[in-house]
Amino acid sequence: MIHIAIFLILLAGFVLLLLAMARHQQDWIRRKLSLRQNHALRLSGFALLIFAFAVAVSGLSWGYGAVAWFGWLTIAAGLVVTANSNRERLMRKVRRCRD
Amino acid sequence: MAWLHTWAGLLPGWLLYLVFLFGAASFFQQEISAWMRPELQTGWASNASLDRIAQRLSEIAPDAENWRISLPNERGGEPVTVSWEALAGDTEERIFDPVTSRELVIRETEGGYFLYRFHFELYAIPVMWARMFVSIAALAMLVAILSGIVTHKKIFADFFMLRFSKGQRSWLDAHNVTAVLALPFHLMITYTGLVTLLFTLMPWPLDANFPSHSAYYRAAFPSAPEREVHGRANMLAPSALMERARYGLGEVRLIMFHNPGKAGAIAEIWSRGERIGDTRLATYLDAASGDIIQRPPHHGPAFTTQNVMIDLHEGLFAATALRWLYFLSGVGGTVMIATGLVLWTVKRRAKLPDPVRPYFGFRLVERLNIGVIVGSMTGIAVYFLANRLLSLTMANRADWEINSLFIAWGGIFIWTLARPAKRAWVETLTACATLYALVPLINVLTTTRGLIPSLIAQDWVYAGFDGVMLATAAVCAFTAYKVAVYKPKAASRGKPRVPAQMVT
Repeated sequence: MIHIAIFLILLAGFVLLLLAMARHQQDWIRRKLSLRQNHALRLSGFALLIFAFAVAVSGLSWGYGAVAWFGWLTIAAGLVVTANSNRERLMRKVRRCRD
Repeated sequence: MAWLHTWAGLLPGWLLYLVFLFGAASFFQQEISAWMRPELQTGWASNASLDRIAQRLSEIAPDAENWRISLPNERGGEPVTVSWEALAGDTEERIFDPVTSRELVIRETEGGYFLYRFHFELYAIPVMWARMFVSIAALAMLVAILSGIVTHKKIFADFFMLRFSKGQRSWLDAHNVTAVLALPFHLMITYTGLVTLLFTLMPWPLDANFPSHSAYYRAAFPSAPEREVHGRANMLAPSALMERARYGLGEVRLIMFHNPGKAGAIAEIWSRGERIGDTRLATYLDAASGDIIQRPPHHGPAFTTQNVMIDLHEGLFAATALRWLYFLSGVGGTVMIATGLVLWTVKRRAKLPDPVRPYFGFRLVERLNIGVIVGSMTGIAVYFLANRLLSLTMANRADWEINSLFIAWGGIFIWTLARPAKRAWVETLTACATLYALVPLINVLTTTRGLIPSLIAQDWVYAGFDGVMLATAAVCAFTAYKVAVYKPKAASRGKPRVPAQMVT
């Protein structure tokens, strides 16, 4: 249960960090956000990563929690990278479901 | 700095690939051993079964000088192995089922333990040479990682970037993504690996502080106190002794008795040390009274720090979820090294002065890439197949399982030497995929613990193993397909288009 929580919080954090980058904004939301919005996204993204660390060490012990946090960072970031690389394929499926 | 990264990565690259491949598998060595010993039912020892086994040992070897009871850990994969040294000096061994405490006959196999030992001791070369080679490669790995970070100027900008079907750019993206996303793991595993083999690479602190290396090991890992024995005495059961030493069953890996059955006999209890920073040393007790004669020595901060680093490297403290994270990160590292090795050839293929007959260095790297990357992976699949297919009663069965691994690997290597590079990749990857897909099939045909029965019985170890075999087969098949259909685009405008056949 704790592992799922850590993973989901990290996933949300990385999604925000992805959207904070101009290049990926263009791809996903098809417009560029302002500097302040980018800042806000980046700040909240990192805040979620830190929050996940707090959840990890409170739910598991300091040592175990820290190691688990690092491990889930990799998986969450990997999932975001995979979705980002397959954006077109994903969007086609979403459009087909909508129609 | 890019030059440093390229050469620190390339030269030991093939050895590092093997270290990471076999090392990643080692995180599940107990589970692999469980799969390779299908005669062992799932389940773990109990205090009662342990005491029964000790009772049986006192019946079959009452006059032995030493008894040795080796316990499987909770993840399974091993029987209780009992051995003793008779007065004549011969060692005899028996195997017991941990659950029923009955004596067993199981197939002779090294199990997952061989894969683990290989990743730092290799095979067929003296162990100290292998450790030295692996240590030096690990040092180069650390240099490669650090120089890679420095060279990767767009480490933040390209953090989420993975572009397919763009040739060299795709290989670089793949190399970067697998490296950066698991960067904490790669740094940790490399550094802690070096610390684990610390005295192989840097023995001089031992020389400076102790008259000999053995003097250090005697001081750090003190052995049993000497004791006179006289007459006979009843010994406490192992469960009682463990309780005196304040260990639970899950924390003990080995119990030894010196001069069992005699007054003055000493019991040795070795802990697993699976919690981070735990000691792995022995507690010595009087076997008859249970009084503690010698506790593990208190170790200072340096020794404890090394222990913590070894624990992080081994990951024995990890439960299921964290163990999978370790394994997936290890696989990521293996892919990082493989993509780096391939990237070297991809980058230089475009600039070859003579594409039909590349220079020797290029051909060497290309051939080693196919032979090592695909060959060793195929060898592991054949190791598992041999475990199911070799006759249960043949002599040196465990050795022949290992030999099968190397025979298959060697076969792949020799095959690739005769083929054009692209076809060699496709053919060997297809063979690898087929062999991995065969593992669950042969499992179902030769045992009662196939994939479907295991899922029904909720035997997650067996189901997970077969599942990983199928997933590996799928990845290899997909890669073979991608390589087969790949057509390089024109080098640049103005240059004559190079036909696809010319580039293989």
